[in-house]
Amino acid sequence: MPETRPAAPPQVSPIDDPAGRDREVLRILVIDDEEGMREGMRRVLERRGFSVRTARDGETALRLLEDAPADVALVDLKMPGIDGFKVTESITRRFAGRTVVVIVSALATVEAAVEVTQHGAFDFLVKPFTPEDLVQVVNRAAQQWRLIRERERYLSELASERNLSHQMIASMHEGVVVLNIRREPVLMNPRAEHFLGTHFRDGVTLADIFPDLEIQTAIEAVVEAAAGKSETRVLQRSIGDAEAGGSHGSSSTGAWEGMLSVSISPLMLDGERGGAIVILTDVTESWKAEQDKNRFVSMVAHELKSPLSAILNYINVILTGMFDDNPAKIKEMLERCKVRGEALLDLVRDLLYINSRDVGKVERSIEELDLKAVIASQLEFFKVQTEKRRIVAVLDAPLPRYPVRADRGDMDRVFMNLISNGIKYNRERGSLTVRITDAGDAWEIAVSDTGIGMSEAELSCIFHEFYRVKGPKTSGIAGTGLGLATVKRVLGEYNGRITVHSKPDAGSTFTVLFPKG
Amino acid sequence: MARILIVDDDTDLIEGQKAFLEKRGYHVETALAIEEGLEKARTTAPDIIIADLMMEHYDSGFVFCKKVRELPGLGTVPIIMQTAAPRKVGFTFETGAAPGREWMKVDEVLTKPVPLEHLLGKIEQYLSSRKTNA
Repeated sequence: MPETRPAAPPQVSPIDDPAGRDREVLRILVIDDEEGMREGMRRVLERRGFSVRTARDGETALRLLEDAPADVALVDLKMPGIDGFKVTESITRRFAGRTVVVIVSALATVEAAVEVTQHGAFDFLVKPFTPEDLVQVVNRAAQQWRLIRERERYLSELASERNLSHQMIASMHEGVVVLNIRREPVLMNPRAEHFLGTHFRDGVTLADIFPDLEIQTAIEAVVEAAAGKSETRVLQRSIGDAEAGGSHGSSSTGAWEGMLSVSISPLMLDGERGGAIVILTDVTESWKAEQDKNRFVSMVAHELKSPLSAILNYINVILTGMFDDNPAKIKEMLERCKVRGEALLDLVRDLLYINSRDVGKVERSIEELDLKAVIASQLEFFKVQTEKRRIVAVLDAPLPRYPVRADRGDMDRVFMNLISNGIKYNRERGSLTVRITDAGDAWEIAVSDTGIGMSEAELSCIFHEFYRVKGPKTSGIAGTGLGLATVKRVLGEYNGRITVHSKPDAGSTFTVLFPKG
Repeated sequence: MARILIVDDDTDLIEGQKAFLEKRGYHVETALAIEEGLEKARTTAPDIIIADLMMEHYDSGFVFCKKVRELPGLGTVPIIMQTAAPRKVGFTFETGAAPGREWMKVDEVLTKPVPLEHLLGKIEQYLSSRKTNA
């Protein structure tokens, strides 16, 4: 029936039409008490491809509709029992939107037309009619039925879209609070409730949700701002005692603690101010990282300024000319400037190394290395220092090879730091022993010195960045405070470990466990 | 001859300042840690003290100053603190402001590197006001 349906049937998903009602064949119910009329209409319509059922009276018709719906009902006005008006009313009441009613009547008057439409019919057909008249009216009714179906589908799509938006907002990782133009909260998702520790309920006020005056003021300003000025304000707020260094996550009371970014945007409804949307984002991690970074930078500034102060101090003393008659004293001061300057360079080098590791710039090239060879070459490198202080350095490694898989630069750095410490914090004529032993699936490398050792309190801090053991015994020993911190970090990347045993004035032993290669 | 006590864990800084101040006619005592500093303060009764802030701990300078003030005869000795820490130290206090100095019990906070002439000027200023008051 190409004249009744569009060329391509509409794509209907099974969700929209679970009963399969939007199929090709339109279902028609003919209700007429005259059999000849019923059968004549059936013949005409079936020939045009419609599916037709018939009923002899209103009761039968309603029963048939209960069994299976019809898309178009052709209702004879004059019937015994329930008349056409009553049937039409019943159908439109019970099957509104599903069945389009067309009245078939001999009363060809305007009054009659008005009356049937008042009873809920869509159209009417005047008896007697030709088959073409019938088909025309049925086609119009079919079109109406399609329109109704489409509107229904549109409404159900709209409803599911609204449902989708609602679920999206509810599922968001960010907290969302929506305020109307009167600053009344109208929506709050579970995440916002979690962050703010309040529950959305009718009559909840802005101040209940945001007790913070600055946030209230910002929301006021955004809502007040002229339409079209879609200015967003962003604030940061700590919730709980996160700022005081409390642990991130939930406190003992179960309330959320951390740093929130509060972003307030105007809510525009059809180009008009409609209120504000507040988005709450958990920025605790990045905030903490920033805090750490700031602390690190101020520590670095301090560590850079100390040697520079000492150097400038010496130079200024020399420049006063007060020691011009004492070249030996001047030379002594310049020697110290040199030592401090070199230490400063070491610090910058260590900082760059740490930074490059942090940003992942360092390409590690993992290869098979022999720990014995790595350590031997480092001991060789420090030979001048050991000899100068008359320290006896021993490498105790009986096996021919101690294979590991690691980056050569990383291994050099680890053992350079440990050996350098073993010399710097040793005593004159002391000894430095590096002993490698088999510890199952790892090599154990013990670096022992006979130097000043450390107290329990000092031991607890030595792997912290910039910590240096300070006191009369260590004065004059240059260092960056980054060596052991770096060693620990590098070893961590290889699943290695470092431990330390020490006693004041009895020396220290640093023990590294490194996985076998 | 006025006596100065310098307490700082940086031997080089002490060496430089000591050399300079001695040439200017002061008697200079030095200490590398607060215990040693307290001992020197007790035994040598300095006329003025110059102390570092961050020594064994980040607040060693405060501890030292408080303890010095409790020593007999040193309740009002001028104390100049010199530190390489930024003026606004992150944790609790601001060294530049008067309340901070009051709390720390120091008279002056100087930021390292302190120019020698500036240090000398401050020392002379506190010593002369002390003489006037006495």
